[in-house]
Amino acid sequence: MSYARKSILFWLLLSPLLIMVLLPYAVMLSTALKPPTEVFTFPPRWLPETIDLSNFTVIWGKIDFGRALLNSLYVSVGATILTLLLAIPAAYAMARYTLPARGALRLFLLLTQMISPVVLIIGIFRMMSAQGLINDHRSLILAYSGFSVAFAVWMLQSYFETIPREIEEAAHIDGASWFASLRHIFLPLAMPAIGVTAIFTFIAAWTDFILAFTLLRTPDKLTATMKLFYLVSGTYHVDWNEVMAATLVTTVPIAVIFILLQKQIVGGLALGAVK
Amino acid sequence: MSRPHLLLPFAMLLPSFALVIWIMGYPVADLMRMSVHAVNRFGQAGNFVGALNFSKLFADPLFWASFRRTVIWTVCVTSGTIMISIPVALILSQDFAGRSLARLIVLLPWAVSATMTGIVWRWTLNGQFGMLNALLLKFGLTDQPIEFLATGQVAFPVAILIGILAAVPLTVIIFLGAFSSLPGDVFDAARIDGAGPLNTFRYMTLPLIRPFVNIAIVLNVIYAFNSFAIIWILTQGGPANSTDILVTYLYKVAFQYGKMAEASAMSLMMFAFLLVFCILYARFAMRERAL
Amino acid sequence: MKRKSRLSLLGISALAMSIAAMPAFAKTQLHVIVAHFSDHTLTTFQNAAKRFEAAHPDVEINIEDVSWDNLQQRLATDIAGGTAPDISVIATRWVLDYVQNDIAEPLDGYIKPEFRSRFYENLLKPGTVDGKTYLLPILASTRALYYNKDLYEKAGVSEAPKTWDELKAASEKVKAKGDGAYGFGIQGKEIETDTYWYYPFWSYGGDIVKDGKSGIGSDAGVQAANLYKSFIDAGLSQPSPTGSNRQDIETLFKQGRLGALVSGPWLRGQIASEAPKLNYGIAQMPGATKQLTWGGSDSMMLFKSSPNKEVAWQFMQEGIFSTETRLEFTLSEGFLPVLKEEMNDSRLANDASLKAFADMLPIAQFAPLMPQWEQVVAATTAALQQIYLGQQDAKTALGAAATQIDGLIAPQ
Repeated sequence: MSYARKSILFWLLLSPLLIMVLLPYAVMLSTALKPPTEVFTFPPRWLPETIDLSNFTVIWGKIDFGRALLNSLYVSVGATILTLLLAIPAAYAMARYTLPARGALRLFLLLTQMISPVVLIIGIFRMMSAQGLINDHRSLILAYSGFSVAFAVWMLQSYFETIPREIEEAAHIDGASWFASLRHIFLPLAMPAIGVTAIFTFIAAWTDFILAFTLLRTPDKLTATMKLFYLVSGTYHVDWNEVMAATLVTTVPIAVIFILLQKQIVGGLALGAVK
Repeated sequence: MSRPHLLLPFAMLLPSFALVIWIMGYPVADLMRMSVHAVNRFGQAGNFVGALNFSKLFADPLFWASFRRTVIWTVCVTSGTIMISIPVALILSQDFAGRSLARLIVLLPWAVSATMTGIVWRWTLNGQFGMLNALLLKFGLTDQPIEFLATGQVAFPVAILIGILAAVPLTVIIFLGAFSSLPGDVFDAARIDGAGPLNTFRYMTLPLIRPFVNIAIVLNVIYAFNSFAIIWILTQGGPANSTDILVTYLYKVAFQYGKMAEASAMSLMMFAFLLVFCILYARFAMRERAL
Repeated sequence: MKRKSRLSLLGISALAMSIAAMPAFAKTQLHVIVAHFSDHTLTTFQNAAKRFEAAHPDVEINIEDVSWDNLQQRLATDIAGGTAPDISVIATRWVLDYVQNDIAEPLDGYIKPEFRSRFYENLLKPGTVDGKTYLLPILASTRALYYNKDLYEKAGVSEAPKTWDELKAASEKVKAKGDGAYGFGIQGKEIETDTYWYYPFWSYGGDIVKDGKSGIGSDAGVQAANLYKSFIDAGLSQPSPTGSNRQDIETLFKQGRLGALVSGPWLRGQIASEAPKLNYGIAQMPGATKQLTWGGSDSMMLFKSSPNKEVAWQFMQEGIFSTETRLEFTLSEGFLPVLKEEMNDSRLANDASLKAFADMLPIAQFAPLMPQWEQVVAATTAALQQIYLGQQDAKTALGAAATQIDGLIAPQ
């Protein structure tokens, strides 16, 4: 089979899935470009009669979507940093030291990474309110880290074990301090796994629904996902053109980041995730 | 290693383990306490009632209906996702024109979040004004707009399809990792020996990616079991509770009906179910390769 | 000695200064939650707060608006977490839960007769439990029949239907002549699905609660459900009502694709801004053996847990229920006024369509106060959806729901 024929065949095989994935984007674009008067026409039309770009400007003022995006970014980056700060040393200790009860620790990590916040949500809310952390972004950062750190340790440890001990030991013999060899030899080698772990933690936080829904309160604190959810629920009227403009604005940067990081995500996973 | 040396590694372990224990331990303890007390809508605990909350829950037909639906939902989403993801990952691991673009499109929904996916689909599926009906009407596939979310018989399968769509990317990533880890020379040898592609897949690829399949199943079962946003945004579990799964019903019992104690009991049982599943998996995984 | 006295003098003056300075440092904080009625709501209440703060510089008021779907959960979790506000808007029918759990502060000790007399007395009743006033209404609404005059004219219907039978006849004509328009919109999912069915239920003489038991399984209930089902089966409603929430049928009406529907005063404002060309009329709720309409109200509640109840009350009296704030609220939200003096304003007095709703206040029936209201709603809604879908007949489904509700509302 020639390269060209193979390519066409593969695209054809993938096309049902690709269409299903892309349909929502077409819907977003179609609706986001419509003026409010065209949103509820019957029969519904794909192409707007007049293209109205004002939806993309309205969302910054009227629903303060920029702040929601910044909030999302803040809690997701915060959770990622905290998770890595906690997980890297733990994974290093698990990978490099002969620990008693190591199997039990591994089991604990394996079990807790499977637990999702949904089943504990009532208890988490009560705990955070006892700590006075309701409507406080710190509660989200703590909770996201709490539910990500086990997976992060697990994943990093699997990868750290593939880095030969000898490299560090050689550096040690050359007179480098333990810390220096860690910083200059070990960490650079571990970067791919750390990067993948960071991406996973970030996305888990970025896409969260239930924790933000339960722990956040005021409009100025809401994350982008929550903001959109509130826009389509419980009001007398939904401005779908604005909602779709906002989802589009949230989605496009993610697509760009994906284009840039695609190799690292797939490659990194092959290296560490499921060893 | 001698004792003093153990101090350092345990100091390195402590913060992350402490955080996990705090974030999960306190809620579990609190749920246990609430599940055996009478608790009012506002979460204030009253008398000790023993197993009353549990027996109330077991007598609730909606709980059992949600439970059955959760099993269907989890099985369908998991198996559908895996059956789609393996061939897709197989294709995406080959070299062909535009592969990067195809990969990008397939992986995109993962980062876009189930909430956004749910919101956009809710609008897409709207009976009178939705774009999907616009397409179907235009191509003459239907002459009346279809109300996708009006009955459980249609809405639930539709929700399952969207659940699969949201789960495919992560699963494809796992299998892409699997396929890229396969030793190429073995396959070259097989091809030289005259093995067809189907046989190669069945007798060589599949056994080699077996551990990855296991992991994909576990991750998808957990994802599906806990998946709240898609059903909540599409149907809120309706009409007539016909699309409720345990997590959406739990939310209603706790926050809409204000039955905190029964909700705590339900939470605990779901937690226990997950835990049992995880332990089974862990034992299985440990047999597979030493922990 | 000298030194010592100077020191003590210094101490006394410092003490005096700190006492004098205290109010400036420690302002009384009030936290007020309001429901998001529209994009104007927050501004209206913030204006009231600003005026109050100007008159009372020692008070700082923090207003927050929460969407209706999330308000009840929000308050429940805040109360559980000890972060309850001082004052909040609640749906009046929730009051029983708040009273039974000792969360609402009775207001009779605060209310002076001249303040009380400013309200329409019948609107204070729904917020009264065991003779004590717990709530002050901030809005009232009734429901009426909106009908599309153009569609009715085309179909040869000259008068707005007065009974459900007339509505059905009119809907048949609209269906026959209306270019694909539907006769009557039936809401079948999400918030107020049950309410939409109480309209015919009440006019057939039904009671939501009778003698401490659910009345929805009664003949009136079966009749009302069968009425709607007959609309659905004959294609007189929009297809598959269980796919339509309140917004969906209202949108159909704005597009001119619906002969009639029942809605509240808010729809007038939406039509004015989104479908100004729509030629529609507002008529009384159709009747059968009785002529009744749904009366709804939302109220302000003072929390027992508030550390500043006196100040909070003062803000309610001087801020939220000042004539100025009330007018600003009523005019921007389009609901019915709760204070008699509001009708002195020419803008309200001359608003004909508002008057159509206000005229129905005397026949307005309020939902009964009952515990576990949200669960009662859920059970009723589920039964109705099963009927609309044709999964169960009206008698079976409503009978089962009534049994379930009896279990919920029985004293435990």
